[in-house]
Amino acid sequence: MKLRFNKTVAAVASSALLLMAAPAVDVASASASGVPTYTIGYQGPLSGSYAYLGEYMYYGAMVAINNANAGTTFGKLPFKVKLAKFDDQGSSTLGPAQAQAAIQTPGLIAVVGPAFSGATEASEPYYSRAHVATVSPSATAAALAKGSKNNFMRVVAGDDVQGAADANFLVKTHGAKSLVVINNGSFYGAGLAAVVSKTAKSDGATVTNYTDPTTGSCGGTASTTEYAATATQIMAAHPAAVYFGGYYCGFGLLLGALSSAGYTGIIMSDDGSWSTGLFGDTTPPTAANGVYVSEAGGGNANLTGKLAAEFTKLSHQKAQGATYAAQAYDATNMIIKAALSIKRSPNIKVLRAQLINKLHQLTFHGVTGVIHFQGNGDLSRNSIVEFAQANATTKTFNVIGHS
Amino acid sequence: MRRLTESLRTPTGRRAITSIATMAVVALMTGPSGSATEPTAGPVGSYGERVSIFGLFAGPRWFLFLIFAAIMWGVWTLWLQRGTQLRSAASMALTVPKRGFALKPVRLVFYAALIAVGVVFPHVVTSQYWQSVMVEQIAVFVLLALGLNVVVGFAGLLDLGFVAFYAIGAYATAWVTGSLPTPAPFGVHLNPFFAIPVAIVLVMVAGILLGTPTLRLRGDYLAIVTLGFGEIITIFANNLYGITGGSYGSGGVTGKHGIPHFSINLGPIHYRWTLNPVPYYYLTLVFVIMFIVAFSLLEHSRVGRAWTAIREDEVAAESVGINPLKYKVMAFAIGAASAGFAGVVTAAQTIFIFPATFTLQVSINILALVIFGGMGSIAGVAVGAMVIQTASMYLLHTPPAGYQPADLYMYLGALLMVTMIFRPMGLIPSRRRRREITLAEAGEGHMNEVLTGENP
Amino acid sequence: MGAFGHYLVSHFSTLRLEFWGLLVGGVANGLIYGMVAVGYTLVYGVLRLINFAHSEIVMTGGFTSYFVLRGVIGTSIPNGWATVGVLVVGMVAGGVSGAVMAMLVERVAYRPLRRRRAPQLAYLISAIGASYFLFNLAGKEFGRVLLSVPQPYINHPIFSIFGAPVQLYYLVIVIASVGMLILADQFVGRTRLGRGLRAVAQDSETASLMGVDVNRTIALTFALGGALGGIGGFLLGLGTGVVYTMGFVPALKAFTAAVLGGIGNLRGAMIGGILLGVVESLSIAFVQPAYIDVVAFGILVLVLLVRPTGILGERLGRAA
Repeated sequence: MKLRFNKTVAAVASSALLLMAAPAVDVASASASGVPTYTIGYQGPLSGSYAYLGEYMYYGAMVAINNANAGTTFGKLPFKVKLAKFDDQGSSTLGPAQAQAAIQTPGLIAVVGPAFSGATEASEPYYSRAHVATVSPSATAAALAKGSKNNFMRVVAGDDVQGAADANFLVKTHGAKSLVVINNGSFYGAGLAAVVSKTAKSDGATVTNYTDPTTGSCGGTASTTEYAATATQIMAAHPAAVYFGGYYCGFGLLLGALSSAGYTGIIMSDDGSWSTGLFGDTTPPTAANGVYVSEAGGGNANLTGKLAAEFTKLSHQKAQGATYAAQAYDATNMIIKAALSIKRSPNIKVLRAQLINKLHQLTFHGVTGVIHFQGNGDLSRNSIVEFAQANATTKTFNVIGHS
Repeated sequence: MRRLTESLRTPTGRRAITSIATMAVVALMTGPSGSATEPTAGPVGSYGERVSIFGLFAGPRWFLFLIFAAIMWGVWTLWLQRGTQLRSAASMALTVPKRGFALKPVRLVFYAALIAVGVVFPHVVTSQYWQSVMVEQIAVFVLLALGLNVVVGFAGLLDLGFVAFYAIGAYATAWVTGSLPTPAPFGVHLNPFFAIPVAIVLVMVAGILLGTPTLRLRGDYLAIVTLGFGEIITIFANNLYGITGGSYGSGGVTGKHGIPHFSINLGPIHYRWTLNPVPYYYLTLVFVIMFIVAFSLLEHSRVGRAWTAIREDEVAAESVGINPLKYKVMAFAIGAASAGFAGVVTAAQTIFIFPATFTLQVSINILALVIFGGMGSIAGVAVGAMVIQTASMYLLHTPPAGYQPADLYMYLGALLMVTMIFRPMGLIPSRRRRREITLAEAGEGHMNEVLTGENP
Repeated sequence: MGAFGHYLVSHFSTLRLEFWGLLVGGVANGLIYGMVAVGYTLVYGVLRLINFAHSEIVMTGGFTSYFVLRGVIGTSIPNGWATVGVLVVGMVAGGVSGAVMAMLVERVAYRPLRRRRAPQLAYLISAIGASYFLFNLAGKEFGRVLLSVPQPYINHPIFSIFGAPVQLYYLVIVIASVGMLILADQFVGRTRLGRGLRAVAQDSETASLMGVDVNRTIALTFALGGALGGIGGFLLGLGTGVVYTMGFVPALKAFTAAVLGGIGNLRGAMIGGILLGVVESLSIAFVQPAYIDVVAFGILVLVLLVRPTGILGERLGRAA
């Protein structure tokens, strides 16, 4: 046997060193002074192609946690809260594993998230079985809200509201009589696009639908050629407006391809594209100028004033345009408020079950509006959909109106 | 200056360079990650960030890893000088005793003990996360790895689209249980138990359909074609909304219910599996054992020997009357069967399935399990799958600083490369493979032994 | 006329309307495929194996030129000769980094196996490992997000062919890739190093007896293919931005192109590239964008089954 042991040793030695180098995990926490510590989980993308969107929410939740612990939101708390993160990369594959990790976390009473609709769909069976309340700041797929007094709740409107508003914005407000509706093949984008094309048709517009799968450039494995192809097909259909259901990365690629193809009509996308990440993903960046985006947030959807400053300090991002940071802030506060009125118990199952009940009873005045959940977990108020226009020079979105 | 370059050219100097380069890469791999706003944060932080380890060391990372490189160099040099005895000792330790379990009763006791451990395991590990991991990530991947081992290990065919069979198995389950937009066959919604034969037949047919035209191709072409097949299956699953539910997967927006769990209704016996992973664990354990037994029997049968012959020298095998195509297609279909079954378990246990679960990355993941464990070695592949999947799920559950879930594939890629360079026969080598590699390195062929049916 | 007839008529009318535009886009894409395909073909010529890690050489070229361009022009947009200068700088950055990375891959993932006379399967697996390692490392280091490459020009139509506008970007691709392909062809056909390369491709043992340094020649082959792949990465990045997974699909298409033209055959790779690019582009008129990759795979399988030696035939050892 001619094994090269000198090299084997090198490999063994280097892997041993690698293990040594792995930093020790911080295990400190637990109750110090008889005050219980409740853990609130955050499940959403913190790495991968959608890290941008996920980090907005994570830091939004963090601002709420810090303020609650400091006593500025609800006064002095009879407990401490802390945030645990579960990075699912927005993927339905990683979702269940992270959900189970969350469920198993000692002292975890509820979860902010899951952030993405596909991941939510895949994770919910586990949360629901463990009776863990999940308050999502951003999972908007219409089909997610089902059942009664369920553990799933969300502080945003479903896609049915947003999709209808977007279609009306294009067809009625801007008089676009022919539409091309494209989705990025994601759970979220496809759902939204379906609502847009349905509403636009009933508004009297002609609609053509295309699917672009999540591309290589956005973390999948399909090619960017598809956007050039889509642009060519759009030019052939010469529509008055183009609607893209999906996230900023794919939207940026589409914008680049449309600009190369010389398209000059109206272009619109959704809240998944309402992110400063859009400007980094569009080549040339000027192609993003003047495109419309929408968000079913309602009211002023941004953290402002002191909260905005705290958010920026934590995340190094501007609060203006940090999509869903405000919703995550509200979702976290909603959970903390519910936790204030549950009975203390050493049994985590009892705590979790109480929390689901309380969340369904409470009404909370958050920064995104009044939050009260219907039985199926949807908001009981009629949500306002906000519209904004992108400015590639300042890399911002300027709110231009609402539904 | 000249003396420096000269000393770097000596073997000692080369080892120094290699040590430093290795540690520079390891520092990058374990360091912080970059982001869209700071694309240079990764490399800068990997070397510049200050670290402290148990109060023993405090300083910038580059210095720490320089120390590691020095240690590596020292150990390496020492090993070359003094290592002869150590080396033979280590080779004893790393080698599975040749006839260690030759005695039948000893073997049986050993296997029985293994099974007993398997049975007791969920009562020892009571964490729900790890119980689910045991089914979804370990048992299922052991099945997948066993299947790919038939293709890669036994028949020597590189299949990079193995995930396609896994996907077909899962979608077949969703289909016959009535959980896809396309109606179930004959409108009957079956219990997933009945999906097992359907799934296995479907994947075997898919294996034959894919294999018959493509298995004539050279090894590297086959790898690319299978990779393409895997991608096409994902693209179709993602886009055929009317049939597969597209990116929504089964259920979801299509308004369908989840895939039902397994259930038994036999006369007075009624049992239904639930989201609780333990019953699923036992169910998969039974099937894992069944597949292990079946594949071991196959390995030592005439078919197994024909695979070995083809793997080692196709022309020679053909000249003694073995039809290579027939046996290759057989390997494809048989390997696919266990992937199809893995698909059934995944579909039934996770309730919803999505195209995003069946990507090329999964194929590479399975390949890494087989290569690391030892191509062609059933025990090796099973152990390899358990080790790697446990490690990766541990990292997901308790990530060390700087680790992101997607980094897993970086480690798996490195593992593939390192295994091929330093220990191509894998963790627990199969006896046949070890001999082949040794002989190939010595530049010898040795078909006769194989063809005369001697079990070496 | 049935539904299928209707499908054909409507799609052929799209094809007629868009033909020249699709052709221009197809040729430009195809030239990049061709450039990347040269890397496959050269390595195949001397080692008889497919370099699975070639996609990451494309990615390396893309990222290096991204960082260089970021340093050189930042957010400003140069014009005139400055644009040409920046483009040359980008090409050099992409080419040099691609060549270096290709040599590194050869050194780390292939040479130890070659010394050991490992079976073919070992090379494939080692290279797949290298590829997965490299692109995921890039993802970790630079973020798994698309990064828009600073533009050295304002992209606009320069002239038109039968009414189809030709963008400046396409012109850059055509000039750069045709130039590089001619250079590579001349290098392999005319220079002493190129002769050595062909000698090794024909019969490495005899070549080594004749005094050709086989290891050096193999490294050179990887470097040459890597340089072209790296430049391909730069050109791809210029159009759509760079991201860690950017190499995968273009490299797969390039491989198809190499097989289509006849693997081991340098000019075949170029012709295969252009042909694949054009066919793929024209298929846009007929299929949903999501299925375009299926078309490319379909072509690959068809060629492998019907004519595995490609259009110009495998000219092993006669790499020119």
